[in-house]
Amino acid sequence: MKGILIKRLVQLLMMAWSVGTITFILSRMLPGDMAYRIAAGRYGDDAVTAAAASAVRQELGLNDPVWLQYLHWLGELLQCNLGSSLVSGNPITAELQHQLGYTLILAAAAILLSAVIALPLGLICGFQANKWIDRCGLLISTFLRSQPVFCLGLILILLFSLQLKWFPVAGFDSLPHLFLPALTLALSLAALSSRVIRNSTLRVIRSDYYLFSRIKGLSRQQTFRRHGIRNIALPVVAFMGIQLVGLIEGVIMVESLFAWPGIGHGLSHAVFSRDIPMLQGTALTCGVLFVVINTLVDGCCYLLDPRSKMTC
Amino acid sequence: MLKNRLKQMSPGQWTGAAILILLLLSAWMAPLFGHGQPNLQHLQHSFAPASAQLPLGSDQFGRDMLARLAAAVRLSFGLSLLCVASSAFLGISLGVMAAWSSQRIDAVINFVANTVMSLPGLVLVLLVAGLAPGSFTMLYLGISLTLWVEYFRVVRATVQPLVNGPELQSSMMLGFGRWYQFRRHIWPAISGNVLTLAAFGAATSILMMASTGFVYAGLKPPTAELGLMIVELFPYFADATWVLLQPLCILLLMVLGFNLLAGQKA
Amino acid sequence: MNELISIKNLSIRSASETLVDSLSLTLIQGEPLTILGETGSGKSLLAQAIMGILPAGLSCQGDIALNGQRMTAKERRHYWGRHLSMLPQEPWQSLDPVMQSREQVAEVYREVLAYSAAAAQKATQTQLQQLGLADIQHKLPSQLSGGMAQRLAFAAATAAGARMIIADEPTKGLDTGQRDGIVQLLKSQTENGGLLTITHDVAVAQQLGGRIIVMRHGKVVEQGSASSVLTTPIAAYTQELIAAAPCYWTDVTPQQCHQPLLTIRNLAQQRNGKTLFRHLSFTVHHGEIIGLYGDSGCGKSTLGDTLLGLLAPNSGNIEWHADIPRHQKLKLYQDPPSSFSPAASLQTLLADVVRRHGLQAEQIPPLLQALALSPSLLTRSSHDVSGGELQRIALLRAMLLSPKLLVADEPTSRLDPITAKQIIQLLVKAARQQQCALLLISHDETQLKKVCDQIIYLQDYARENVINHCD
Repeated sequence: MKGILIKRLVQLLMMAWSVGTITFILSRMLPGDMAYRIAAGRYGDDAVTAAAASAVRQELGLNDPVWLQYLHWLGELLQCNLGSSLVSGNPITAELQHQLGYTLILAAAAILLSAVIALPLGLICGFQANKWIDRCGLLISTFLRSQPVFCLGLILILLFSLQLKWFPVAGFDSLPHLFLPALTLALSLAALSSRVIRNSTLRVIRSDYYLFSRIKGLSRQQTFRRHGIRNIALPVVAFMGIQLVGLIEGVIMVESLFAWPGIGHGLSHAVFSRDIPMLQGTALTCGVLFVVINTLVDGCCYLLDPRSKMTC
Repeated sequence: MLKNRLKQMSPGQWTGAAILILLLLSAWMAPLFGHGQPNLQHLQHSFAPASAQLPLGSDQFGRDMLARLAAAVRLSFGLSLLCVASSAFLGISLGVMAAWSSQRIDAVINFVANTVMSLPGLVLVLLVAGLAPGSFTMLYLGISLTLWVEYFRVVRATVQPLVNGPELQSSMMLGFGRWYQFRRHIWPAISGNVLTLAAFGAATSILMMASTGFVYAGLKPPTAELGLMIVELFPYFADATWVLLQPLCILLLMVLGFNLLAGQKA
Repeated sequence: MNELISIKNLSIRSASETLVDSLSLTLIQGEPLTILGETGSGKSLLAQAIMGILPAGLSCQGDIALNGQRMTAKERRHYWGRHLSMLPQEPWQSLDPVMQSREQVAEVYREVLAYSAAAAQKATQTQLQQLGLADIQHKLPSQLSGGMAQRLAFAAATAAGARMIIADEPTKGLDTGQRDGIVQLLKSQTENGGLLTITHDVAVAQQLGGRIIVMRHGKVVEQGSASSVLTTPIAAYTQELIAAAPCYWTDVTPQQCHQPLLTIRNLAQQRNGKTLFRHLSFTVHHGEIIGLYGDSGCGKSTLGDTLLGLLAPNSGNIEWHADIPRHQKLKLYQDPPSSFSPAASLQTLLADVVRRHGLQAEQIPPLLQALALSPSLLTRSSHDVSGGELQRIALLRAMLLSPKLLVADEPTSRLDPITAKQIIQLLVKAARQQQCALLLISHDETQLKKVCDQIIYLQDYARENVINHCD
């Protein structure tokens, strides 16, 4: 367990370093004078004077050699000092706090919804492998997986908001607003995870130990309860770690599509408006989210699988 | 060997190949029939219905949709080909190197791969794309940078047991060199997986490019790029649903084609 | 007479062929019944048919009765555990990989016999103690040895009180000592129940006694009491099968060993911090056949690899008395396909060797003949020939290079007894002819005693000793 935590901590540091480095390079590549830009961000475009710019230059050490600035940049990053947005002028951390709440709500709703869809579907397809319901499941899953999340979202919007007018198109005030983005994300997650659950189920019910349990005298239900659930869950939980990439990428796209004011929305906006501190902050938060949830998945695997304790 | 591989292809894989070949052919043939100017505007003809001259109608600026779609398909294919080729080459070489050389080299390469993997792919692509907005090169670099890790991981995991296993051991004892061992033992073991990954990787790179276009972080207008076209047409969904559906369907077909070609393993 | 299982005219067919052909048998209480035959003779299908778990796509005709009652496959399933049970071929795969040993037995008492948790725990405790498994209660299946896993599977299979036991190759992959333990355990089961054992091992059939049915290609070749079938076999196939059992092999005359090839002094080797062997000293002579015996996991293969220079010794030294090039110290593997590239034809692979070392391609046909191999085999890939054929081709490939030391790591443990005997004989003959030292690694002591000039025992590093037939 300690090993897992250390590994994840190193991963976290590497992630922060790479985000910091890329955004640092980015900040050097922007056209125009950096000091003027920052001064404009602080005092408003009209108030920028040469004096204000040079004060900023002095304060941020913009006259220092590049490597010193780079170290300074990383140092600030380590202290979680992320600066202020070039667009709104608000401190990044405050903006992030606000966005993170929305993202977490969306992600949690999507994961819950995808579990509600994928679990029964995957189990049924596994038990009925290669029968018609399994084939239908495969067909739908292939279709859903073949489109980017935003296409799926667009189709849902066209269908539920514009044709049927059941749900609002975009916004973030109430539960109905949450439904379509969460469903979009959930469907794209369930498309893959239902197949993983199906394969895991099939592998377990065809295994020698599953049959042997019946031969020992246990009934179907007893065998499923005693030997099915845990063995099916193990690869599925491990897979969730891999699917996280899809979750975070999906969050970015879905939030942009539905104008959901979360981290992903912030990230794509920051790229568009070249708001570097914001870009760094949102990318960093995505990365932290990724590593933290991965660590949770690792923990679940560790608790579920007694074999992992053997080696420690 | 190629013959064998073709023989082993499932009906699903054939379907995927057929979809892709059809798309490619039409995309390359379109200019020959006078649909070679994706950016030519005819503002008086905005959202013209389908006709003999404009088989797929026109968009909000009166641009020829067929020409735009054909250009977008060529762009997506070109990019995915480039990304897959470079990431596969990098991933395979590093994977074989990591599995086959000293533990220290393995650790170093592994560390680099883990660093890349510590960020979700799209976030990395957005960051890299942000370095130079609208630049094809940056998009290509960003996508390739995220894709190679997958090859690396799979190749390393396949080659590692092989390196310690009887096949290479006996080959080595029989006096064969490394190149022979790679050609006879390692390449046959990884080639199947590499081809599958290549097909999935092509699908991923097309999706990535469309995604960056969709959030205005990729290529810039007026480039005919599927994600960009979708987001630009979205405001007109009520008046021109049929025009909006076109890039959506093409994107779906391309990704579906590559996913089918990869073979249905899940 | 209490007829536990009786089968009349059982036939099992796939779409294209008959796999078991009108077989009849009766299992009587107190008398073990053993089905003897090579792989692919339809033995395992018989066990699956009795249990009612034939793979889909196979059809089954004939009557199967339990306790004198005719029953369909579905009805027989209700007998599982309480009356009828099966001991698996691969115990590791039949035990839940993530459940502690004790729990896999205790759940039967709790779930099937509806014992209270405490009573189930107590019953399990007693049963595991009787089987000598008290120490491994909390271990997971992957931590058990093959013999222990099989005993645990036995405990679990019989916990619900089944009296009819079907054991499908219960000793597969076990070394001689563990094999005998399992056979004794099974035998004790017959006293108040029935035991149907399926095996390819003549020694197992002999130890079990009772009645024997010899099967080949799905047909009964011969049947009768164990003593008569094993001592005076009538059918030619039975005679061949019995003759293939190492205990009936003729002794190979030990060779006078003259010229030393390599001397091992005080060799020690560790793996994962555990000492595998130490203080190991012996001399290998040109053309000498040396047996290496020991339990699985005791370091036999490691010793072989150390002699071949694939592993550096932990301490001690290996002195070669002549300078032997790398390609003349070779190895034969336990699993023949694992040492061939599946991507090229065997012909191509042999041609590669010939070209690499500037040999003559004309050397191949006489070797093919000596090894009783048809030249047409070489046009196939390694996956399209049988294990026995591939092992002979591996031997041919080695012989092309006139090796001075050949390590054969359990070269026949995955092969049928008749093929195994043939391979060992060819191996010994080839080694003698080419004056190549052969290190034969095996978990079958009898086999080694029959063919080796010298046997090295690696049972326990503290007690290793060397028996030298040459002295």
